[in-house]
This record gives sequence, structure tokens and C-alpha cells, in this order.
Amino acid sequence: MNELVQLIVLGLMEGGLYAMVAAAIVLVFKSTHVVSLAHGQLMAFGALAFWFVLVKLDMPVPVAVILALAFSAMLGWTTERFAMRPLIGQPLFAAFLTTFAVFLMMDGIFQLMLKGESVSFAAHLPKGNVMMMGVSLPITQLVSFGSCLVLFLGLALFFRYTKVGLGMRATAEDHQLAQSTGITVRSIFSHIWVLSAVVATIGGVSLANVMDIYYPLPYLGIKGLIVALVGGLESLTGALLAGLLLGILENVSAGYLDPVVGGGVKEVAAYVLLLLVLLIKPYGLLGLVRIERI
Amino acid sequence: MRRDRIRWLLVWLAFALLGCVSPLTSAQAIAKEVAFLDLSDFTGPVAGLTVPASSGLEDYIKSVNEKGGVEGVKIKYIGVDTRYDVARTISAFKRYARDPQVVAMGICSTPAGKMLQRLTREQPIVCTVPGDGEFQAHLGNFFTWGPTYQDAFAATIDWVLKDWKEKGKEGDPSIAVLSWDNAYGREMLRGGKEYAEKKGVKVLKSELFPTGTLKYDIYLSRLAEAGANYVYVGGVDPTQTNIMRDATRLGLTKDIKFISDYWGPTALGTSLHPEALEGMVVVSFFLRGEDAQNNEMMKKFWTTYRKRPMKEMNGGYAIGLGLGMSLEAAIKDAIKRVGPDKLTRDEIYKSYQNITGLDRQGVVGPVAYAPKVRRASDVVKFYVVKSGKIIPITDWVEAPNAVALHKWE
Amino acid sequence: MWRPSGTFDQTYRQDMAIVRTPFRWGLLIVCLAALFLFPAVGSHLGWSLTYYAVSFLNTLAITIIAVMGLQIVTGYCGQISFGQAAFMAVGAYSSAILTTEAGLSFWVALPLSGILTGIYGLIGGAPSMRIKGFYLAIATIAIHFVTMWLLMHLSITGKSVGLTLDPPSLGSFVFDNEERMFYIIMPVMLGLTFAAKNIMRTRVGRAFVAVRDNDLAAQVMGINLYYYKLLAFFISCFYAGVAGSLWAHLTLVCHQEQFTLIHGLWYIGMLIVGGLGSIPGVFFGVLFIRFFDEIVLLVSPYLATWFPWMGTAPAAALGLTAFGMVLAVFLIKEPRGLAHRWEIVKASYRLYPFAH
Repeated sequence: MNELVQLIVLGLMEGGLYAMVAAAIVLVFKSTHVVSLAHGQLMAFGALAFWFVLVKLDMPVPVAVILALAFSAMLGWTTERFAMRPLIGQPLFAAFLTTFAVFLMMDGIFQLMLKGESVSFAAHLPKGNVMMMGVSLPITQLVSFGSCLVLFLGLALFFRYTKVGLGMRATAEDHQLAQSTGITVRSIFSHIWVLSAVVATIGGVSLANVMDIYYPLPYLGIKGLIVALVGGLESLTGALLAGLLLGILENVSAGYLDPVVGGGVKEVAAYVLLLLVLLIKPYGLLGLVRIERI
Repeated sequence: MRRDRIRWLLVWLAFALLGCVSPLTSAQAIAKEVAFLDLSDFTGPVAGLTVPASSGLEDYIKSVNEKGGVEGVKIKYIGVDTRYDVARTISAFKRYARDPQVVAMGICSTPAGKMLQRLTREQPIVCTVPGDGEFQAHLGNFFTWGPTYQDAFAATIDWVLKDWKEKGKEGDPSIAVLSWDNAYGREMLRGGKEYAEKKGVKVLKSELFPTGTLKYDIYLSRLAEAGANYVYVGGVDPTQTNIMRDATRLGLTKDIKFISDYWGPTALGTSLHPEALEGMVVVSFFLRGEDAQNNEMMKKFWTTYRKRPMKEMNGGYAIGLGLGMSLEAAIKDAIKRVGPDKLTRDEIYKSYQNITGLDRQGVVGPVAYAPKVRRASDVVKFYVVKSGKIIPITDWVEAPNAVALHKWE
Repeated sequence: MWRPSGTFDQTYRQDMAIVRTPFRWGLLIVCLAALFLFPAVGSHLGWSLTYYAVSFLNTLAITIIAVMGLQIVTGYCGQISFGQAAFMAVGAYSSAILTTEAGLSFWVALPLSGILTGIYGLIGGAPSMRIKGFYLAIATIAIHFVTMWLLMHLSITGKSVGLTLDPPSLGSFVFDNEERMFYIIMPVMLGLTFAAKNIMRTRVGRAFVAVRDNDLAAQVMGINLYYYKLLAFFISCFYAGVAGSLWAHLTLVCHQEQFTLIHGLWYIGMLIVGGLGSIPGVFFGVLFIRFFDEIVLLVSPYLATWFPWMGTAPAAALGLTAFGMVLAVFLIKEPRGLAHRWEIVKASYRLYPFAH
């Protein structure tokens, strides 16, 4: 029993991390209808920037947060300006593959900076572990999970109460309609990439706090994509739900199935879940069912 | 349209030029020069190990050439990055497969090793590989870098028994392997398991995880559940460091003693999570940590050729120096037997089996290669991580030959 | 269809011919003769780079087969698949099992492994019945990982150790080196190219294009969507299976680390660079990317010597970044790929000195 609780709680914590990456992808899809593979890199670069400022330049945490977010905002803007904007009006497939090209490009730079090693900033942040309900919980994970909840709350408020947020929602509904009500769709696209890069960075820093910065980190972007698909590409709530669900499922299934089938379940659980969900509900748990016309 | 065409033509010309120039530059053959082809990963899961090892080898070869080569024969070092990609390794190998100048080569991945074993069977070329016991079991042109994984595991079993007795505990200790879910991760038990059972150490079910794993909570908690006294951790640093990070966070380090395979924590790990690694035991066939920092030879090479502060030196550098010393000795032996003009792959292959007992200045153990031995040395040293430093706790001890205990197909 | 003036088709056969003018016939025969004579002549005369060139051509041809299959399902039928590397792995493993466990000869196992992979591809393509576009693309990534997991954990596939197999033989003649395998791989590649070219000119091929351009419209026109989507997956995986089988017999070892997701992604990259929906595009894309990669491989060791401050790591980084950059430039500047550019060059050459 205790083991199950432990698995579920750890899974919940991990799921929160996936949900943050998924949130960044959902943001971009909602308003631009582009599924992005590049966010895995955006989050890795954000984490790397945070590490650089915090550890290499030895700055306090708030400065590091601000600088890392500023850096990632710039990165998001650059990606939109030079890779995505030239493709407005082109098939969405081309934009999707361009994000993949951006992923590869940035992956090369990421590997170059890591030089096959791994870096960590966990030592500069709260650490240790606490006992809760008879389960031992690392504080790093609690901090990361907390930032996930704060992030989702922040996003909800942003979309409800700010003008840019409302503009984004309007753009998500219909590009032409939004344009005719006086919203500059192009600048909304720019904003949304900046915002999603910032969200990805918060996710990346939380992830790196738990898992360090190591060469597979950007590939968690693919997992974020899976979470986004399972939750439904339009829905932030879906991303949160699917993230938590996936985190729990991965840990519990690995905990009970690994000894039976001989390991590696944690890696495939996400993919099996995705295939099942797509077969039953093709647009995800909370996604909009699109009606197509010829 | 016309301008466009010219622009494209220029692009194509540039590519064609590059394509023509690059093979030419690499094909300049100078008399009395042999080459070592190093197919190495500069990124990916094993990079933490192969990058320092390759730099050690490269620097050693540089120093040999500066002294005028091995009796006048210079050695060329060809480093190719294979990106942890087997297909790429094969393709790079084929580029040099029939180049008579290339007399020996090194690779760093187990599956690529097995594949090259099939591909080099017509024309055996000395190939140095990390440490799979399989190459000792099926004698061929593959030579390991140190004792095999099995041997290191067996040496660890001996250490575990000693430690168990010193702590005054009753009954038989149990050990579990926590390692990569690939051929490497399973290799140490092929022979290692038999040895442990012979000595009365219980081997629990291994926990294997994919190489790209970033979080190990679940595997660790299962090992704790299974009641392991000792955990033998495989993988290449920073894998061990990350495992220890999670183990510390879960509070498991008190009840379980973690012992790392020889690719474990180096300068990289101790700079990442020194507090988590505290108390981890490392079995090693090369000098690492404080030993490496204080070793005259390593100091000299690192400061002359890398020009970096000593504390950035990774223990893996010693492996490269060791490989370089055996290569030099083998070439010297071949020259002595057949003269400098007949340095073929065959002769080097014979010479590699002929340099038994070569002293490698204590950086790694003396050479054990012989006609029936493919492991580089048969001694290991135990280290422990204490306040961010890797400190030796034993002198060189013998690593038992565990490969022979396994029933190989 | 652009042809020199004065060349007319007088019969239906002429109109439908793939090779249409005597000049093209001549060119084709000369090229093929050069291709097939090269390994024999090269090794006979002892050219130093023959072995390298032949092994490069072999890899090239196998990649072309795999990408050709991908062209059918992605370029013609519009179903994006990142799983081609996994399907190749299935082909490689099934041919290894068929030749070693079941004791079949290579010549039977080659088409059979293609068919088995095709059947596996039906399972892999099953999600396409419910989803399309990105959803399908990500689903194929999922299929890749599930396949790899199965290969890693089933005992028939040798778990993490993989399988070893023997070189193919014909009578007492054993195809055990690159030069010999060349004479198996090349004809298979040419035959499959010819087949692909022809499939695309039949009812099936036109149905694929209709599904790609607008699946709902195609359905309204009476095309059975599910049948054609699955058929596209079947044919594509047949190609992947044959490619995998050849690869396994070339390297004589089957191991899941030979077929990583990165390979599947590269194949899509080759397709984009070459041009979606064009058979010559496959050749252009594969040639371009492979040459590019080979140049990076050859140049990168020198980079560290020329620019010591970079260290040894840039080699790998450089390759990936350059590949990503090439891909992005093609997607933005030349979305129709090299094949389209080739058509333009041909047309402007023919029309010279006029602009249009």
C-alpha cells in the first residue's frame, strides 16, 4: 500500500513537470495551429541560461530567473521571426517540419555547449526531503510541482484578465475574425511564441532542478507533445490533467509491470497511452472535435 | 531566372569542391607512418568517458611523434565522431577499412564492436573496445581497455565480502545490479553472477533502465523494497551521479551501499553533486580522483598538451594514456620483429599479443594481453568518494577472471 | 511534359513510356553500365577508394529504398510517418529470423521479410484510420518506440544482444563483402524504383494523390479511404522491410541501436530536401543529405586541428546544426525540394536563350 502511494505521489510530481512542457506547446497550437517540436529545445536552453546565470555568474536566484526568462523570450521571438513567420500561409505541415528543423539546429548547439557532460544547479536551490503521509518526498520535486501549479494559475488569470490574453483567445477562435476586430494577428503570433518560450523555460528550469541538464533533456519535448495530444491540443486544462495522468501511469505501470515483462515500461507507457487515447478519442481528452468541410 | 541559376550553380560547385578536397586531404600518405583510427562518441551517453579517453590517447600519440616517432615511424591519430550511432560507426569504419596505413583502431560501443567483429573477420585488425567479456570468451582481434566488466564485478564481490565481515554482519550479503538496459548493462552478470554465487553472495534481480533516463526514483525504490545490501551501479558518468542524486533525495544511502562500475564518478560527477556521491565506492582499473591528480605522468601530459588546470582533468584521461602506451609498445615490438617497412595489420595483431607484462607507469595496470588473453590488465583499485574527492581505499588488487565461469554459446 | 521540339508521340505506348527518347535510353544504359562495372573494374585496377565508394553506394541504395517507401506513404498519400526506421528494423529482424531460425534462403527471405513488414505496417498504419496530420506523425513516433521496446524485450529477437546472420549465397558463391553485395542491392534498388514509378501511374497511385490532396473530396469521389491509406502503409513498409533485410545482410548483425528515431527523422528530412511527391526527388534528397553528412564526417576531425579552441565536440554539433539549417532553408526557401529545382533547371536549359 505504502509503495503504491509512493509511486502515485512521485508520479504526480513528475506529471506536473510534463504538464508544463505540454502547456507551452498547447499555447502555440491554440493560436497558430502549429504543433511545435522546438519547445523541447526552448526549455533546455532556458534551463541552461538559468544555470549559467545562477552558477557561472554566481547571481542570486531572482536575477537568474529574470535573466533566464528574458533570454528565452528573446529566443522565442527569434524562432517566430525567422523560422515561423516566413511560413505563414504555407501548409501547416511545413511549419511543423520547420519546428523540427529548429529542434535539430538547436540540438547541435546544445550538445556543443554541454560537451558530453552534465550540469546541475540543484545545489543552489532548496534541497533535502520531507516525510508526508508516510512517503519520503524530495523538496526539489515539491518546489518544481509548486511552480507548476503557480504557472497554470498564472496562465488562467492571464487569459482571463489581460488584453493580450484576450486577444490571443480571440485569435485562437478565428484569425480573420480577430483581424477584423482590430487585433494584429501577426503581433499576437509573436507574443504567443514569446509567452510559450517563457512557459517552456519555467518548465525547463523545474525539470532541470529535478533531473539536471543532460543531453536527453530536450527530448522531453516529445513527451510534452504526447501529453498535449492526450489532453487535447487546444486545452490547457487538458494538458494539466493529461500530464498528471501520464506521470502517475508511468510510475505505477513501471512499478508493477517492470518485474513481469523485464523492464523499460516507463519509456513505452506514454506511447501506449497515446495510441490508445488517439484510437478512442482522436482529438484528445478535452480537445475540440473539428468538423471538416470540403 | 538566370541569376538564380548561377547562384545555384555556385552552391553546387562549392559542394563538389568540398567533396573532392576532403578525401584528398585525408589520403596524403607519408612513408613510414601508421595510423590509429579512433571511432569515438563525442556526444551522447558515453561521451563523459570517451572524450577524456580519446584526448589521452591523442596526447600520448602527440608526445611519441614529438620524440621522433617509434624508431622513426610516426603515428597518425584519426578521430571520427560516431554520435552513439552504430550505422555511422560502420560507415566511418568502411571509409578506412582497406587503408593499409590504418593498423589499429578503437571503438567505444558494444553493439558496434559486435558488428565490426563480423566485418573484420577477413582481415583482422586490432580493435580496442571498452570491456565486454565476450571478446575474452571468443578470442579474436578485439582487445579490451581494462579488465572486463565481469572481472571488475568479481573483484567487487571480493570487496563486498570483506566489507560485510568488517562490519560484523551475519548471513550472506545480497547485491543487485542497476544499469543500462542494453548489452553493456547485462554483460557484467555473464560470469559475474556465477562468481558471486560461488562466493556465497546473493545476486538479486537487476534493474535496467534505458540510456536516456533522467530520473531513477522507481528503480531505486524497487531495489530498496527487494532489500539489497549492496547495489552495483552501471552506466557512464554522469549516470551514476544522477542515480546517487535520486538515492540521496529518497534517503536510501543509509541502508544500501552503492558501488559503481569503473565508468562511474569522475571529476565530472564530483563537481555536479558532491554531497550525493558521499560514500560511494568505485572500482577502477585506472587512476582516478586524488591518485590521478598526484600522478606525475598525468600531470605532465595534461598540463603540456591540454593546458588546462589540473582539477578539470577527468580520470578517463588515464585510459587514453594506457592505450597509447600499449600501442607504442606493440609498434615497437613489430618493428623489432619485421622491420619498419612491414608494419601490416597482421604484424601489429601479433605484436599486441606479444607485449605481456608491459609496465604502464602505474597509470593503469601492467599489460595482460597474451595469445589467450584479451583483457588489458588484471588489477583494479577501489576508491571512495569523500567530501567531493575520490580517495583510494585499497592498493591494486587482483581482479579474478570471471569470464571463464560463464557458459558461452 | 517538356521535350525537345520535334519529338512527338505517335502511339499510346510511346505516350506512356517512362524513358521516352533514344538519347535518354542511351544515357540510361551508359549510366547503368558504368554503375555495374565500377566495383569490378575498380577493385581489379586497385583504385584506393573503390571499397569506400562501393560501401557508400550500398548504404546510399539501401537508404533510397527506405526513403522511396516513405515517399509513397508520405509524399504521395500524405500520411506523415516518422516510423520508417522502426519498420526497417522489423524487416531486418524478420529476415534474420527467417534465415537463421526458419532456415530459409536469403532469396526467399528477402521478399518475405518485406511482406511481413508490410503486415506489421498495417498495424502501424491503423491509427491513420482515425487520425491524420500531426496526430498521425506523433502516433508513428509512438509506434517507433513501442516497436523498439518489443525488439528489446522479446526473446525471439535476441533481446539486447541482437541477432547475427550469415551472408547470402547462390550455390557456392557467397556474397560476403561490399563489392559482392553491391550486385544484390543495386538491382533490387533499381527494380523497386521502377515498381514505385509504375505504381504511381496506376489507379492506386492516383487514388493516393487524391487522398493526399483532400481526403474528404477523395472519399466523396468513391475512393475507399481506409483501404488506400492502409495499402500505402503496406507498400511503404514493404520497401522498408526489403531495405532492412538488405541492411541486415550487409552488416550481418541485427541490433536495435542501428535503427534509432533519429534515422526515421532523417528520412523525412531527405524527403523534404529531395521533394515530396517525386521519385527522382528521393534520389536527390538521399544523395544530398548523405553527401552532406559524409563531408561533415570527413571535415570535422580537421576542425579540431584547425580551430583548437573548439575542442573535439563541435564535430557532432556541427553535423546536427548543419542538417537542421539545411532543412529549415529548404522548407522556407524551396518547399518543393531539389526535384522541383531540377525541373526548372532542365526547362530553362531547354528553352535557352528564352526566359519562358
